[in-house]
Amino acid sequence: MLWYDHYKMFFKKANSFNNSININGAKEKMDFAFILSDSRQQTVFKNNGDFSRTNLTANIGVELAKGLKFRSITQIVRTNDTQLDPTGRNMFYAINNARPFANFEQRDAKGMYSPYFGDAVGVNHYNFNFITENAKVKDLTIDVLQSFNLNYRVNRFVELDAKYGINRSSYNSRYEIVDQTANEGAEFWQYWAEFYSPRTSFGSPTTGSESGEINERNFVNTFQNFTANATIKLDFEKDLKLKIPLKSATLVGWDYRKRETTDFWSYGVNSPDFTPYRAVNMAEYKIATDATTQFATYGVLVNQHFDWGELAGASAGFRSDYSSAFGQGSKPFTFPRGDLYIRPSSLGIWQNAKFSNVLNEWKIRAAYGEAGIQPGAYDRFPILGTATVGSQTALSTPTSNANPDLQVEVAKELEIGTDFGLTIGKNKWFSNASIAFTYWARTSENVIDRVDVAPSIGIGRQLTNSMTLKSNGVQASLNLNVFRSKDWNWDFTANFSKQKSWVDKVLNDAQLIKLSSAGSTSYIIKAGDKIGQIYGYIFPTAVNQLDPNGVPYIDPAAQKDYTVASNGYVVNKTTRQPFASAKQYALGDPNPKFNMAFINSVSYKGIVTFGMQWDWVSGSKLYNQTKEWMYRDGIHADYAIPVNIDGQTEAWSSFYRGAYAVRQANGTKSYFMEDASFWRLRNISVGVDFTKIFTLKGFTKLQLVLSGRNLITKTKYTGMDPEVSSGTSNSAWDRAVDNNTIPNIKSYQVGLNIGF
Amino acid sequence: MSFKKYIYGFALAGTLLGAGCKKDLAVSNPNNPTPDALNSESGIVTFATGGVYITGFRSLKYSDGVYGPFFSGAMGFHELMADVIGADAANAFLNQMGCPNSVTFDNGTTVLNPNSPNTQYALVRSSNQNANAGSNFLYYEWSFMYNLIGAANLMLDKVETVSFSGDAASKKAAIKAWAYWWKGYAYSRIGSIYYAGLINNSAFATNANYVTKEKIIEEAGANLDKAVTAAKSATSAGVFAETLGKIIPSYFQTGKGAPVTAAMLERNVNSLKARNILVNKTTATMTATDWNAVLTLANNGINSSDNIFTARTDARGDLYTSGQLVMGRTYSSLAGGSTYKISERWAQEFKAGDKRKEQNLKQTTPYLGQADRGNAHFTRWALVDGGTGLSGVAVYAKSTPGAYELHVAVDYEENELMKAEALINTGKIDEGLAIIDAIRTLQGAGLAAVSGTGLSLAQAKEELRSERRIVCAFRGISFYDARRWGVIDPATSRTGAVALTNTGVVSTNATIKYGYLDYWDVPDNELTYNPPAAGSAPVKNPK
Repeated sequence: MLWYDHYKMFFKKANSFNNSININGAKEKMDFAFILSDSRQQTVFKNNGDFSRTNLTANIGVELAKGLKFRSITQIVRTNDTQLDPTGRNMFYAINNARPFANFEQRDAKGMYSPYFGDAVGVNHYNFNFITENAKVKDLTIDVLQSFNLNYRVNRFVELDAKYGINRSSYNSRYEIVDQTANEGAEFWQYWAEFYSPRTSFGSPTTGSESGEINERNFVNTFQNFTANATIKLDFEKDLKLKIPLKSATLVGWDYRKRETTDFWSYGVNSPDFTPYRAVNMAEYKIATDATTQFATYGVLVNQHFDWGELAGASAGFRSDYSSAFGQGSKPFTFPRGDLYIRPSSLGIWQNAKFSNVLNEWKIRAAYGEAGIQPGAYDRFPILGTATVGSQTALSTPTSNANPDLQVEVAKELEIGTDFGLTIGKNKWFSNASIAFTYWARTSENVIDRVDVAPSIGIGRQLTNSMTLKSNGVQASLNLNVFRSKDWNWDFTANFSKQKSWVDKVLNDAQLIKLSSAGSTSYIIKAGDKIGQIYGYIFPTAVNQLDPNGVPYIDPAAQKDYTVASNGYVVNKTTRQPFASAKQYALGDPNPKFNMAFINSVSYKGIVTFGMQWDWVSGSKLYNQTKEWMYRDGIHADYAIPVNIDGQTEAWSSFYRGAYAVRQANGTKSYFMEDASFWRLRNISVGVDFTKIFTLKGFTKLQLVLSGRNLITKTKYTGMDPEVSSGTSNSAWDRAVDNNTIPNIKSYQVGLNIGF
Repeated sequence: MSFKKYIYGFALAGTLLGAGCKKDLAVSNPNNPTPDALNSESGIVTFATGGVYITGFRSLKYSDGVYGPFFSGAMGFHELMADVIGADAANAFLNQMGCPNSVTFDNGTTVLNPNSPNTQYALVRSSNQNANAGSNFLYYEWSFMYNLIGAANLMLDKVETVSFSGDAASKKAAIKAWAYWWKGYAYSRIGSIYYAGLINNSAFATNANYVTKEKIIEEAGANLDKAVTAAKSATSAGVFAETLGKIIPSYFQTGKGAPVTAAMLERNVNSLKARNILVNKTTATMTATDWNAVLTLANNGINSSDNIFTARTDARGDLYTSGQLVMGRTYSSLAGGSTYKISERWAQEFKAGDKRKEQNLKQTTPYLGQADRGNAHFTRWALVDGGTGLSGVAVYAKSTPGAYELHVAVDYEENELMKAEALINTGKIDEGLAIIDAIRTLQGAGLAAVSGTGLSLAQAKEELRSERRIVCAFRGISFYDARRWGVIDPATSRTGAVALTNTGVVSTNATIKYGYLDYWDVPDNELTYNPPAAGSAPVKNPK
């Protein structure tokens, strides 16, 4: 039997090209900068489309009168994306779950790909070549960003500043699926591109849309922001001739924001027999979405700042905002802030002290602030669902209800820190260093979430101010000039951060379910648990192991049927399947214990520059859902690893199959929760500027830079990359699952920077 | 101070801006109507459509396309547990909920349930944890049916205050009859599968007083009676029908799906009440009184020409697609080619020469699946989409949009077979068999009559059993039969079963021990957010 390397079949080396031209200048009362940049990126998947972005920026400043400056910044960005699977996850899943004897490049007598090769290849596989051949997408985004800024320095006391910005982003997506009725493989297996293509299609294949579909989406997002600030500065010593080193700065501001979106999705299914055709030729069409949102918020902010010489400073202020989420007639929400600092190193007594030669700077700082996070534009307005039903319409109760009693979510943050400046070495080595240390604590109250309600209420979830979250952490950094001479400079930076985040309170002390967008794994929100806590079945490692409540996982009467296998897991002596607890438990905090980064940069005469960054993430955990899926049909290489069970050593497939299937097939299990700590060479680069070596007429810079990213990774994680997350992007909850996410790619860059 | 004027100027500007922006705060959701829309005649009629077909049967917070919404998921689970279909996909434990404790093949080997947990009793308990979210298969039917009850309650709340044009009494009567009918239907489903339930008469609220399944069935009856009373209160049959005609999607109103009259509704109610009695007792414990009660209701039940409550697909998939119906998840080109795989035990119910088998089943390369996922879902049969072309013979799977008529509640065939069963069990064997013959004729089975052939009581019961298995399949009621006939009891077994081993060896006299829980515990998602109040009935089946 022939074996195929599916990674070779579907992946390729990809190239990216980035070019940029920068023209800038200044003349008397005017300055300008024009930048044109262009980026073209191929993807590592064959036939998955590509991505390009062109960006034009114009920045013009004019001094209209004395102290009155006007600036306009215009940016136009065109992004063109034809990637069918932008994250690659669907494709990765399809090929990771295929046994290697399937030749996905094989075409049938009609010259067509088949979407599926039968269960023997693995029930979750499909042929991505079929998808790329039958589905095409074109996403075009045009962003226009314009800002105007008028700044008037009236005198040395007063400065007025007005800024208006508008961002308009228009996104058009056209997604076409061709007629597949002539494809015998598709017809036989009833596998249609719409089912397996990563893009959302609206027509359902079972309603005849396998005979062609055109989906189109137009989304426009317009954001306007107007701010007007007045800053009043007063120096008590200079302006008021008082003998006190007090300076005052008062900021009074006005801030207005408005966001408007329109979203329109339409589709047509059942294409005509002739080609070419457009959506208007489809037998059935429908508007799937026509939605618009408007959200406005505005208010005032006031801040008063005092500095006492260089010794200390403090400020206090508030901002008070109205929000359209609460409707007209609502009261504004007001939140305070404040900060202060002291620099003992500025005192004469310090500067005269001997130790100030070494410890020449010391600052202590603290800040406190509160902020309101508004509910979504219409989260407080209960509605009914709408639908078209044939020639009629239908109203329905939504599965997730808005809540007219919803309150603003309140975030409170305290930060305390200190900074040191040191002069250590007298010579070229370790001449100076700075150290910064910060402790922070954050509380989020009235956190809004769509939480489950009892199904007998007749709805599924309701937006509720449902919990209090807390987090705290420390951050520290060290900047060290390792060596400095006339020709050489070597700087070193180390950053350290550590944090923990937990659920402090939950409404009614309930257990809330949080679904992951990464597949079947779900999170549970329970007071006292860490944020992002995954729950699952425990695989004990001792036959008499007790659960957190002191109850044995395995009934003592049944313990005689179990033994510990050579890989450490408790297994049933007869079935050789691992044992999984009957209930689900927290599978350990997935968040890292700490993160560190080590950065070195060395330069020689400005000719050669060298940079290197190592990242260290310690104690993080990742749920290897990719592996669990590959255990389903015995596709994972682990199946070849022998295990000694009750005296017999063999590569027991019953063990591995059991790891996937016991208690719940593909259920979340401690077995797949892995240590994802890692060391990674994030970046390494070498640059040479030829204008510093030769005299090149007309050039001010001709620098060649060679760099590489993610070239080395040290980890015990058995998946492809310990750093991925397949969950909702930027979610604090949903980040500890690896479900067929494409690993961070190793990349090599060659760059040429030319200056005239 | 010299800069005072700037501050004043700024304050003035701020005030002006503030006044100008105030109108920006006056937003409401421009995309959807608010619940106030239900205060109009057209609003409540439109909600009567969506509250039932979308809220009640299609949309929940948890969903999975592998088994889909109510008509394919919740109904499919019943068919799985009734061994009409099998599955190997593990979504919501599909492969385990209908996996027998053991199958003993003709060669004497016994294959136990290979899953862990290895009994369905244990599976139900293991599945029923709130943490399982949408994987808990007990969640679906409960939630759909309480959605339906909630929507009906909202209609009943609003119907009293809405001012209707024209013949308000008849329009109100139609909406009330519609709402009470679906409440009655929902309580019938709840009380026929859950060990306890809640009686809820409010919209967007609930209570924690759990009652026994018997009380829930009583509540079903009470609501069904109210539906009939409401329907009969309509002063104009025309306005009543016209109102229902606006509620029921027009593309459902073909075949038997047109609006029911008050009399037809009463007959639908009688059939459903007959079913509620029949399916919630085991046949062994049915008394003559019970049989007579079933017979009386069925005799006043659905006629062959009556309209019933149906659902259909359309080309755009506005409400449902064929894949969201059990038959649409089952038909395939190759045996086992779909999520639901036709069971060998269903295929064996057809007597030799039954044209319905020739029309609907095709023997192909056997589906042998994975031995670690089940012991009974291997099959040689594929359900044929659109039939094999025999004219005048019933077709059980039709994917063409609109072609398949799903009988959501009760239908004529089921009512006739209830009559037949009651007659056979009360000594009128031949009268009962005559009904079976009539149903077979109706479906074009092409089988010789069994009435008048002197069948024994046991033989007659077997004719009834196999006929009901065939006729009532794919509609989410087959499990009721398996339960009341004692097939699923762990202490009993089904003998003479056709079964396929994982290697494709066919047994024709296999013994299957199912061992399925008869009534499910209340789903943990409900109990977590609505724990039972003091004095509630037990929410867990003691079995």
